[in-house]
Amino acid sequence: MSWLYLGIAVIFEIAVGIAAGKAQGFTKLWWTIGTLVSGAIATFFLSLALLTFDVGVGYALWTSLAGVGIVMIGALFLSQRLTWKKLLGIAIVIAGVVGLNLAGTV
Amino acid sequence: MTTTSQTLTPPGTEKKAGPWAALLLAGAFEVGYALSVNGSQGFTNPAWSIVAIVFFLFTLFFLSVALKRIDVGIGYAVWAGLGAIGAALLGPVFFDETLTPLKGFWLAVIVTGVVWLKLADSPKLERARATN
Repeated sequence: MSWLYLGIAVIFEIAVGIAAGKAQGFTKLWWTIGTLVSGAIATFFLSLALLTFDVGVGYALWTSLAGVGIVMIGALFLSQRLTWKKLLGIAIVIAGVVGLNLAGTV
Repeated sequence: MTTTSQTLTPPGTEKKAGPWAALLLAGAFEVGYALSVNGSQGFTNPAWSIVAIVFFLFTLFFLSVALKRIDVGIGYAVWAGLGAIGAALLGPVFFDETLTPLKGFWLAVIVTGVVWLKLADSPKLERARATN
């Protein structure tokens, strides 16, 4: 269940990342509202995930997986280039997440 | 009086020092946000919940101030790195949690990955690379 909460929190944090970028320093009203609403939902589900995860682990998983998601969405839908550097970053994050799980420390 | 000292700052200095101070503040508030979201116990603890909301707004505000001057990729990299490292180090201080070397190692890998990812997304670094 904690992974489900974390997954929902990650999806809304991806929305935060994209909306915050479009809000242009929070000068665009609707993107700013989108940022705040997505952030509130992401925060709520993060708090549910953190009932199980340690804050250090849960926060790192949340922010890094959202970072991966933002790059993937950017490449798939916002015509940003998926460079080898970005792919390497994604690979390092995934290696860390898998390692953390295999180590049984999650 | 702060306005006086502001005008005495040599041009260029306030351009750089101000945004970086804002970015460090945003990072500090992000750590506070992570810790208070944890302390809110699924937003059932009112005091921690209010603190979490305040920190959330502060971190967004200072980040947006910082990113007006600092490259988005670099700014996000520093901010995300500070948040994740701070939460991992201070979690055991404030809560009944442990940070073992093994856990610390894999968390460091994840933080490296996310910082790398944000830097790879930096328009400034891309331009610098293209001109080389």
